[in-house]
Amino acid sequence: MDPSVYLDRGTFVHRLDPKTKIFLLLGMVALAFVFANPLYLLAVLAIVLFFGYLSQSMANLGRIWPILLAVAIASVILLSVFGGGQTPLFPFVEREALIYGVGIALRLDAIIMAGVIFLSTTRIEEVAVGLVRLGIPYRFAFAVSKVLRLIPTLVATGTTISRAKRARCPDLDSGNIISRNRKRLPLLVLAFVTTARSDKVSSMAMASRGFGAGTGRTYLLHVAMGRRDVLILLVFVLLLAGSIALRVMGYGGPEGS
Amino acid sequence: MDPAVSIEGLAYRYRGQQKPALKGIDLEVAEGEFVVVMGPSGAGKSTLCVSLNGLIPNFFRGEMEGEVRVEGRSTREGKVGEFAQDVGLVFQDFEAQLFSTDVALEVAFGPENFGVERDEMVRRVERVLGQVRLEGFEGRTPATLSGGQKQRLAIASVLAIEPRILCLDEPTTELDPAGKLGVFEIAEDLKASDDVTLIVVEHEPEETIDADRIIVLRDGNIVTDRPAREVLRDVELLEESSIMPLQVTRFFHEMGLWQGQLPLTPEEGVAEFRRRKWRVNPGRHQRLVDADKKREEGYGEPVIQVEGLTHRYPNGVVALEGVDLTVRKGEFLAVLGHNGAGKTTLVKHFNGLLKPTEGTVVVGEEESTEQRLRRPGQGVGYVFQNPDHQIFSNTVFDEVAYGPKITGMQQGEIEERVKEALDAVGMEGRGDENPFGLTRSERQRVAVASVLAARPEVLILDEPATGLDYAELRAMMELLKSLNEAGSTIIAVTQTMWIAAEYAHRAAVVRDGKVALQGTVREVFTQEDGLQAAALRPPHIVSFSNALGYPALSVEEMFEVTEEEG
Repeated sequence: MDPSVYLDRGTFVHRLDPKTKIFLLLGMVALAFVFANPLYLLAVLAIVLFFGYLSQSMANLGRIWPILLAVAIASVILLSVFGGGQTPLFPFVEREALIYGVGIALRLDAIIMAGVIFLSTTRIEEVAVGLVRLGIPYRFAFAVSKVLRLIPTLVATGTTISRAKRARCPDLDSGNIISRNRKRLPLLVLAFVTTARSDKVSSMAMASRGFGAGTGRTYLLHVAMGRRDVLILLVFVLLLAGSIALRVMGYGGPEGS
Repeated sequence: MDPAVSIEGLAYRYRGQQKPALKGIDLEVAEGEFVVVMGPSGAGKSTLCVSLNGLIPNFFRGEMEGEVRVEGRSTREGKVGEFAQDVGLVFQDFEAQLFSTDVALEVAFGPENFGVERDEMVRRVERVLGQVRLEGFEGRTPATLSGGQKQRLAIASVLAIEPRILCLDEPTTELDPAGKLGVFEIAEDLKASDDVTLIVVEHEPEETIDADRIIVLRDGNIVTDRPAREVLRDVELLEESSIMPLQVTRFFHEMGLWQGQLPLTPEEGVAEFRRRKWRVNPGRHQRLVDADKKREEGYGEPVIQVEGLTHRYPNGVVALEGVDLTVRKGEFLAVLGHNGAGKTTLVKHFNGLLKPTEGTVVVGEEESTEQRLRRPGQGVGYVFQNPDHQIFSNTVFDEVAYGPKITGMQQGEIEERVKEALDAVGMEGRGDENPFGLTRSERQRVAVASVLAARPEVLILDEPATGLDYAELRAMMELLKSLNEAGSTIIAVTQTMWIAAEYAHRAAVVRDGKVALQGTVREVFTQEDGLQAAALRPPHIVSFSNALGYPALSVEEMFEVTEEEG
């Protein structure tokens, strides 16, 4: 199984300089925080989805829809029950709180989706190069890229292990949700142990291939800002500035404030 | 000039271990030499490898005595990264050493660390991928490669650093016979063109004939260090050290030749056989063939029937195409084939881990697609290649009991099942031990026992040879043989030709997703051209006897049919 999130599609988003994409990601997060009104956030979400479409990353977004849904439902329920407001809608739930919950749900989902699109269009090595070019030390940039890799590796190892288990014990999928998870817990531990063990070998292999040798490092990946990068960053800066101006002028804030 | 590697009084004990891994190694390797290191599991071979580039003492915490010098410089004096430029090290666990998102980046990682100019880097990537026959794979994700391709990529990623000394720790375990040969050809080329020093850990003797020296390690000591051909003739020493002797050599040894006269290769063997005017007794050979036939007739009803099986993966790759195969009760089937041929894909259909895209797979009475892997104790047990993907309990007992327990058996029955399974794998009375304290071969036994506890009719093993030394592998195969004699049907996927020859009854050769050859092992192994087309080579004793016109599958068979003159 291929544990990486990256989709090798070669769209123009893929070809952007990783620095540009890091800025775009940060800008997207900022944009999601500028607004609190669900309608405006819906527009932010639409921009994210547009990027997802342009970069042909919708397949990955499809893969994580249960997570998106869970995050959305959790924030709507929690914030509308525990949030305050003036206009009662249902018992314990006020209109303002519900709208706020929906807004947060949209914000969180937009951020998660932007992150997934970033990883779908940027190789982990490109993330590292991008960070290095932004002045971050290679060791730190590499550590970031390693963390990004760890989660998919864990998932892949977990899949192999649960297949191995299932082959001899067909009963893994029966029972209610609690008993199912009780049966799976040891598999999770095993996935961690196996990943940790192979991580030790990876570290050894990296050292054996000169990681941390101390000389000036070079990069196979050719990274340079092009006209396209400048253009898209410019558009995005304008968009962000415009959004902030809108918000300052009183649009797109939380309902009732 | 300093020797490439010089080791003086090297002893090492890993932290938390009672026993030292190495006890006092003295070794010198000259520039351009090709040295093979052999020895049983736990002899210290891998420890020796990781001491060459300073992982010991700089990465591992433990106690080191003595000195390792690489081109005159002590490994205590620098970082691992610095020695990496002189000593290229390819690890046994080749999957864990691949961490990049595509093949080109994987190969470039080393040169990048050493600040190689980008243009030069591009040239190197192209060159080494050519050397390991992975041209055109630049953009592929390493995780999507087959085992053999991953192994070659791991080698390429180290070659790109252009080290003066190359150390390969069991570089061919996952490779098909042609691929194995390929790795040694790469090694030979490097040696010839650039005078690279080679230190290779290997357990299959057929690959080691061209080495300059063979070093045998046992319990952390060097037992012997002599020219390769001399060591390969010392059949007794090899057997004592759990190293497989060359089959032709062992045959002549058992025929009573003294050491200095022993031939090594099938060609040398044929010449010697003819020179001595020995001959094969046709009547005795016919008895072997008749025994095959009789065994064929003795099988029970079909337990697995595959018809027109095609499997297409979601990414569109067609892994199997129009496969027909019948496995009958009591068979011992070897599934052979080149890397990426579709062997594992095929057997994964037998217990429903995969579903046919087209065609049918009938297991026992019903189709495996409908079994949904749900019914406990159902017919087919599957032992995965890596036992560590299966084992997670704190005791051997719990591990083996996992299946029976979760299917809701009573305590008494569970205990009975566990005892039966542990007895079958020769681990009786060891239920209280912690699986992680066991050796690899014992863990593999536990994995087999945990599958046996479900009392499967058919037992599938995916590459039972990985990680085992000769003695352990023999023991594992004897175990399968006895299970088979007790009525289990055995299916083994393997790259190790001699175990297929000696232990299996029937063989199916998968080539590019199709079954290219099938029949009794003797029939299949007689067709050397067909095997070669599938990147396979019969073991030495089979080639040797084929050349004499009377195919024998083991040294014992050959011994049985040979007559001395007069």
